[in-house]
Amino acid sequence: MKRRVVITACSAISPIGYGKKAITDGLQHGRSGVRPLRDDGLLTNHIHSRVFGTVDYPINYQFTRSQRKTMGPVAYYACQVAGDVLAASGLSEEFITSGRLGVAFGSTHGSPTVQREIYKTFFQNLEAEFSSIGAVDYLRSMVHTTAVNITRMFGITGRVIASSTACTTSSQAIGFGYEMIKYGMQDAMVCGGADEYDTTTVAVFDNLLACSVAYNATPERTPRPFDRKRDGLVVGEGGGAVLLEEFEAAKKRGAPILGEIIGFSCNNNGGDLILPNLAGITATLRLALADAAIEPAAVDYISAHATATKMGDIIESQAIEAVYGDRPFVSGLKSYTGHTMGSCGVIELIMTLYMMEEGFVAPTLNLDEVDPRCAPVRHTPGVLQTKTKIAAVQNFAFGGVNTSLLVKNGREAGI
Amino acid sequence: MTRDVLQEKILDILVRDFEFQDPQLDDNLRDDHGFDSIDAIELLGKIERIFGFSLTREEKEKAMDIRTINDILDYLEPIYQGRSK
Repeated sequence: MKRRVVITACSAISPIGYGKKAITDGLQHGRSGVRPLRDDGLLTNHIHSRVFGTVDYPINYQFTRSQRKTMGPVAYYACQVAGDVLAASGLSEEFITSGRLGVAFGSTHGSPTVQREIYKTFFQNLEAEFSSIGAVDYLRSMVHTTAVNITRMFGITGRVIASSTACTTSSQAIGFGYEMIKYGMQDAMVCGGADEYDTTTVAVFDNLLACSVAYNATPERTPRPFDRKRDGLVVGEGGGAVLLEEFEAAKKRGAPILGEIIGFSCNNNGGDLILPNLAGITATLRLALADAAIEPAAVDYISAHATATKMGDIIESQAIEAVYGDRPFVSGLKSYTGHTMGSCGVIELIMTLYMMEEGFVAPTLNLDEVDPRCAPVRHTPGVLQTKTKIAAVQNFAFGGVNTSLLVKNGREAGI
Repeated sequence: MTRDVLQEKILDILVRDFEFQDPQLDDNLRDDHGFDSIDAIELLGKIERIFGFSLTREEKEKAMDIRTINDILDYLEPIYQGRSK
């Protein structure tokens, strides 16, 4: 059994805004969501990189106390966007709770904010005789906290996939959700990812000399994917969700078709856990095309992973050139948001869907002078009014995990 | 600590941390305020800090049968009186 899988709703909380209007506006006007790193009273002053892709606007959460008690900050993002897509879908409560709808959702490492509270136990000698670890701290911090807070909040009884592979967390979630429906295991899936503000994540990349440090006084000028003066990634926060449905059922109930997932691939470099690997990345791009049964020339736009690290952008450019040549437009959307970690795949997919719907592609922000080593691909030369029929969303993670999602414009989905 | 003082402290926690609206002493904790067993564990941790000593496993297990705020006070009063002598 192979069934078609379409996207019928999406929602993102990103450093450049919440919802389609704000995000589209940010992309069209070259707005950066990178801000000075907030002070957490712990690590901020010990980190060289002082910039962060920041969600700095209020969000009107309507969660009850009962819902909130098992949620850390990461689950707030996750449940908010999951609630948005379920509300937008118009799916009945009967279907949502039927067991035919599942959840594929993840984060890099649950809620570090709550984990920090747990760790304090080790340093509270004076109170050692009391129960310092709260009853719900594990539920709020565990690695699958986003997925199961979504199931709890909406009474979802289907499959749960809680991917947690750093930067490929949500692209895996979408890909695995797509496969669940394609092969008949589920009829619909809420897929995505989220990550919260956390300086320990910044510190991890900072220690590896992978973070941007040269633009601390001008946060909006970094990250700079593919640019000659790029100096590393900028960690960020956010969340995004897409609702995937089996095509015939979605069509039958008159759901809006925002796009169709036509291909997915996921592989591993089989070796080093940090360094980008040309062979591994090239292979995953080809595997996605094979899954979709399309030629490279059918792809009009590529949302590159493009973190703005020195080597990562070069290797990705080489892989894109090897597979796609210089035909599709390419941009690195993290230039607007920073690297939102576990949510980057879904946020970049949603940005791509918005651009497809509105008939434009956004360029890489801060790409003032292309690094010649990243030059062989077709960098998007400014906001371009163009019709994208098929786009690729690429993500690569620590651990050597690579993914590629291929998505067809909803208007082209053959309804 | 008298029962009245204890009652005041418990009500304060229930309103502030568990967001109880207008709690009455004989309200059913679960039905009227959505207070469940996880909340009970959380509350016990806060009570330990008020008392200044930790509760035993047996004492905590007995707390799982509590249904009302009056039950909480009936449960805590003898524990506090017994330990603080």
